[in-house]
Amino acid sequence: MKMSLVVRTTTKLVAPFLVTYGAYLTIYGYESPGGGFQAGVIFAVSVILLMTAYGYRRTRKHFPLRTVQLVESSAALFIVGIAMAGLAFGAFFINFLRPYVPGGTVMTFNIGVALKVGTSFVLVFYILSRWVDRD
Amino acid sequence: MIAVLVAIPLLFAFLTALTIPLRMEKYARYLFLVGALLPWLAYLLMGEGSEVVGGWPRVGGIEVALDIYSSLLVLGELILFSAVALYSVTYFKKEVKALILLLLVHAGLLGTFISRDLFNFYIFMEIASVSSFALVGFSGEKRAIRAAYKYLMLSLLASYFFVFSIGIIYLKTGYLNLELISQVSPSTEIRAAVALALASLLLKAGIFPLHLWLPDAHANAPSPVSALFSGAVVKAPAYGMLLLSLYLPLPESLRNALLVLAFSSMFFGVGAMLVEGDVKRFLAYSTVSQMGYVLLGIATLNPLGAIYYAFAHMLFKGGLFLSAGAMVDKAKARELDKLSYRGDILLMVSTIMLSLAIGGIWPFVGSPAKAALLKGLPYGRELFYLAGMGTLASFTKLNYYLMKGRGEESGTLALPSVMMALAALLAGFSLGGSPKAMDVYLLLGGAVLFLLLKASGLLEIRLEKREITPGDVNLGAALFALFLLLLLHLSQG
Repeated sequence: MKMSLVVRTTTKLVAPFLVTYGAYLTIYGYESPGGGFQAGVIFAVSVILLMTAYGYRRTRKHFPLRTVQLVESSAALFIVGIAMAGLAFGAFFINFLRPYVPGGTVMTFNIGVALKVGTSFVLVFYILSRWVDRD
Repeated sequence: MIAVLVAIPLLFAFLTALTIPLRMEKYARYLFLVGALLPWLAYLLMGEGSEVVGGWPRVGGIEVALDIYSSLLVLGELILFSAVALYSVTYFKKEVKALILLLLVHAGLLGTFISRDLFNFYIFMEIASVSSFALVGFSGEKRAIRAAYKYLMLSLLASYFFVFSIGIIYLKTGYLNLELISQVSPSTEIRAAVALALASLLLKAGIFPLHLWLPDAHANAPSPVSALFSGAVVKAPAYGMLLLSLYLPLPESLRNALLVLAFSSMFFGVGAMLVEGDVKRFLAYSTVSQMGYVLLGIATLNPLGAIYYAFAHMLFKGGLFLSAGAMVDKAKARELDKLSYRGDILLMVSTIMLSLAIGGIWPFVGSPAKAALLKGLPYGRELFYLAGMGTLASFTKLNYYLMKGRGEESGTLALPSVMMALAALLAGFSLGGSPKAMDVYLLLGGAVLFLLLKASGLLEIRLEKREITPGDVNLGAALFALFLLLLLHLSQG
């Protein structure tokens, strides 16, 4: 299923900006509206847009299923790991990075959540389009 | 530190998930076993107490606690999950996804049982139930997928109303922490919210008129998963009801309604068991009946009785499902006539021990649990004993059918159920049960009742196996709506 030239060109133009906006929301989310989940959805949308414009097979070449799975489970591991690392500094889930990083662990959690949510949505769309693969 | 109990299975769930893209699936089972058993260490090292995670102030933080109520449930869950893990490692040889989902259920249940915060309770209950939906349909058979769909729709419907009621409580009090909520004087809105929350938790716990999803979901799930569901997953909403009854006012009329529901659930379950010919559905209906006992403890404001019974039920029902699973997986059939535990002496002994435990016979764990429930029961002792006799009669039926015929050796598959039977015996001693003359009467009464029913030919009635249709979901939703209105009305009365 291939879309027209206009759609494909527009998607190609828009997708990088979406990624930039997602990165902004992730990093700045600890003190402005935004945060990991919203940023993750925007990351996912950029890939899903490419998928609707170019089809599943071509998108898969650039974002292989295995890489998506790898990033998904390691992002989740990263979140739990950060929470457990707090144990070394006194308590579970303690914000031990505050003196070193703006926002402390809040920002690292946002990064983990953004990656996890983004890859999860992409994975869901991969599995759905594998099921209706007609292109 | 208490929250580490939840973090360990979660960490190992994601580590197990990482083995799929890394193509190292053969190590997944070891990671799964570590994740299943490591919480034991954390549990044994931790003392009782409560804390707010991350050292935040109590108003904004999440409070978790391990006290007399939580620690018994956590202990039961750990024992049951160890046995289930042992069974799953041989049952799910190639399916790493099922192992991940099981660890997520483990994390969700542990998180539910330690929470003292309404929203945190909801989140962890949902982690456990969302993983359960996937596990019910895991085999991919048409019936299993339809059962999973029915469970999903009804359970999510209840969840939405539950989270709505949490919203009302938060709006009126400004807190989610239960200790802080209990200090605010109750208003009409809070009473309505409690009724809403109770109605949705009743559905999720599978109490009689709202039990429609339970037999299908528990009977069609893979064997180790059904043991976990009937043992532990339905206890999560029961724990929620217990928290509500501990910290929020339950009006008299609402408690009476719960008492009626508890007794009707007990008797309905027994009646359905007597005419059921499918061993897994039989045990699932037994869960409906046994959850009535737990609700009885909540309705009579006897939290310790409810906890004792929930703990006892985790042990014996989990064990019974595991031993049924060992027979079903060997014979590849679920009809009672085609199954037997002859040929495997260990399986036979453990099934009989667990059947006695579920009937509340000394020295098994059911006996002190029933004694604790009876202490808080103001009236209706005769009904309580009658339900116990019915349970014994239906389990006599189960053992009668299993005693006939010829079975094969189950080998290592029998081991988990032996573990659970021993746990039921040990827990019975340590909870301090005492032998009573009533046990003998009940046992004899159960056997006589069974013989009478058999002689009258009532046991030959077989319910027709019917397909699960989308209409079932509509029926369940309509019943739920009626119940919601009824409880709302009673809460204001």
